Amino acid sequence: MRTRAALVAAAVTVLAAAGCSGDSSPLPGRPTASAGASTGAPAAPADDSCRPRASLRPAGALPAPGRMPAGSYMAEIQKRGRLVLGTSQDTLLFSSRNPFTGKVEGFDVDMGRQVAQAIFGDPDKIQIKVIGYDKRVSSVVDGSVDIVADTMTANCARWKDVNFSSIYYDAGQKVLVSKDSKATGIDDLGGRKVCAAKGSTSYDNIAKVASRPIPVDRPGFGDCLVAFQQNEVDAISTDDTILVGLAAQDPYAKVVGPRFTDEPYGMAMPKEHEDFTRFVNAVLARNRANGTWKSTYERWLGDFGAAPPPPAAEYRD
Amino acid sequence: MSTAQLDRAAPVAADTRGGVLDRVGRLRNTSPGRLQLILAALVSLALLTGLVTGLTAAAAASGTDDLGNRAQPLLVEAETIYSALADADTTAAQAFLAGGLEPAPLTRRYEADLERATAALTSAARRTPEQGPSADAIRRLSADVTRYAGLVASARANNRQGLPIGAAYLSSASALSRESLQPQAQALLQAARGEVDDGYGAARSSWWAALLVILLIALLGALLRAQLYLSRTTRRTFNLPLVAATAVTVVLALAVGGVLIAQRAHLSEADTEGSRPVALLAEARIAALRERGDEALTLAARSGEGALEKDFDETTARLDGLLADAGEIMPAGYAGQAVRSAVTKHRAYVSAHDQVRKLDNGADYDGAVALAIGAQTSQTFTGLTDDIDSALENRKDVFSDEIGDAGRGLGPLTVLGPLLALIVCGLALAGLRARLEEYR
Repeated sequence: MRTRAALVAAAVTVLAAAGCSGDSSPLPGRPTASAGASTGAPAAPADDSCRPRASLRPAGALPAPGRMPAGSYMAEIQKRGRLVLGTSQDTLLFSSRNPFTGKVEGFDVDMGRQVAQAIFGDPDKIQIKVIGYDKRVSSVVDGSVDIVADTMTANCARWKDVNFSSIYYDAGQKVLVSKDSKATGIDDLGGRKVCAAKGSTSYDNIAKVASRPIPVDRPGFGDCLVAFQQNEVDAISTDDTILVGLAAQDPYAKVVGPRFTDEPYGMAMPKEHEDFTRFVNAVLARNRANGTWKSTYERWLGDFGAAPPPPAAEYRD
Repeated sequence: MSTAQLDRAAPVAADTRGGVLDRVGRLRNTSPGRLQLILAALVSLALLTGLVTGLTAAAAASGTDDLGNRAQPLLVEAETIYSALADADTTAAQAFLAGGLEPAPLTRRYEADLERATAALTSAARRTPEQGPSADAIRRLSADVTRYAGLVASARANNRQGLPIGAAYLSSASALSRESLQPQAQALLQAARGEVDDGYGAARSSWWAALLVILLIALLGALLRAQLYLSRTTRRTFNLPLVAATAVTVVLALAVGGVLIAQRAHLSEADTEGSRPVALLAEARIAALRERGDEALTLAARSGEGALEKDFDETTARLDGLLADAGEIMPAGYAGQAVRSAVTKHRAYVSAHDQVRKLDNGADYDGAVALAIGAQTSQTFTGLTDDIDSALENRKDVFSDEIGDAGRGLGPLTVLGPLLALIVCGLALAGLRARLEEYR
């Protein structure tokens, strides 16, 4: 009888957990109901009730590199000797494998390297772990990575499981179609197959569009481009930043349409280590001020115009 | 059936049967009649024996031929298809890991793999009937190999231009190989294994052989009883033609026995010393290639240890078991030595792999890649597959030799059997006609 009661309690916990984590990246051991539930739902305004752009305020000045305060999560990382960054290897410009050198590099990777620089005084003390889009939340929760910088939108559903840094980049969703396509935006793609990475907010957003395109998922956006080139899908829809990177690899593709969503990127960190989130926000604040953000932008995205001002930091406390 | 039909049919049947039985029955009452009966029995038994000898030898010969020239080569080809595809997948992943332009030796190896796979597919298609699961697997494999080669070619073209999309093409190709090509090759291998088992059954032709043994015993018994009867009823102790007929029958029995016993002995040698070790070693080679593939793909995914590493551990345990089994059935000789060497090299490779995992888990990704695709580890691994290959080749030769020996004598027996039986007929006729003449 007692075991049965315990089982029921466990089941209720699991269900409750699944309910509150309305995210496409399923947590370990939780049922994946969100993806199916979101399909075909009417376009709903994003849930901004939690102020997803607002993070935790930095606590005072940054400690000197290599001298992390005892007992902090940063000290733990310092002791281990490397920062474990979760990212992808096929998002050109943000985090992709350089085919010539075999190294993973890009805007997101540099964000992680700047955190490593602040902890160790050495940006190379970083271990890059490639994770699927659908593992970005769960990898942080189960501790297999310290931090995720992977074109990851800070939204309320994810805030329930992870902490986000302050916003370091503002993107928005557009579509990539073939050069001769007459489509001028997602609204012209009703009934057509549109690809996005499995577990990305982009995938959920496609199903919310009123014209009802058919969402198709692939493990990553590189795989979406393969599907596009093999005529398996008609278009790819995700953040304009990622699409620009894809279009750069295919002269027969173009990015069209207005941004139909706002995708503020934040780095995801474990909820239980608030000190780490505050530390990362301090690093971001310093780099916004001293021009590091601007030079990073110019290094990776400079081909698309001058650097805009960095997104202003918002804090919730 | 209606009663009317029964009523009409019954008397007619009873009549004929009664007539024949009556006539035969009446024959038994007179001495010439009895001689006629004996003659009829001997001649029909001898003719039947001759016919069955010919059929048995023909069935065993065609079964042995089918086993040696179709079923077993099909098994070997199925294994070649599987291992070539697995190796191509691994090689492509390693070339990707190397970074930059893929190294020429790896490209050559990939191309050789693909060539091996398509050549084996073509000849496997020749050895399979047009319908059935094997033919379906071959058709799907042919179509998918073309798709696979296209994806890898796109990956290379993109890689050459420095576009990261090349990696995505490669992972699509790898997914196609692991999720479609390799399972289909495995299905073909499974079907081929079944055909080899059936092939041994057909080559043994046990039902025909049993019938032949019964007929030979019956013929010999009939000849002896006929001579006993003649020596009792006539004053001659020996009927020379019948003695000669008995001798010829004994020769036939010895020839049949000798050829069939030798054939079975060689078949069972071919099975235990050829087919079984070949199947074991083929599976071992596939397992070894799978380990290497798991390692390369784990590193290419750059996600730390995952399902593939678990698969590596399971495959290692399986390969250890396979090599132990192979060592047990091949304790001595060239193949046994090769298997023992393979066991040592496998151990060396697994410890190199453990080192690779340790480096990767310790955040030294570049070190892990360098060790995994470096010369030393590659040499150890190639040594392992070379050992398995040479043991496999050795066992294939043993199989061919034994099957060749098993087929020996079956062809002549197909002609000789009926011929000897006809001689027995003639002698029986000669022996009894002389006695029958006496009653004229």
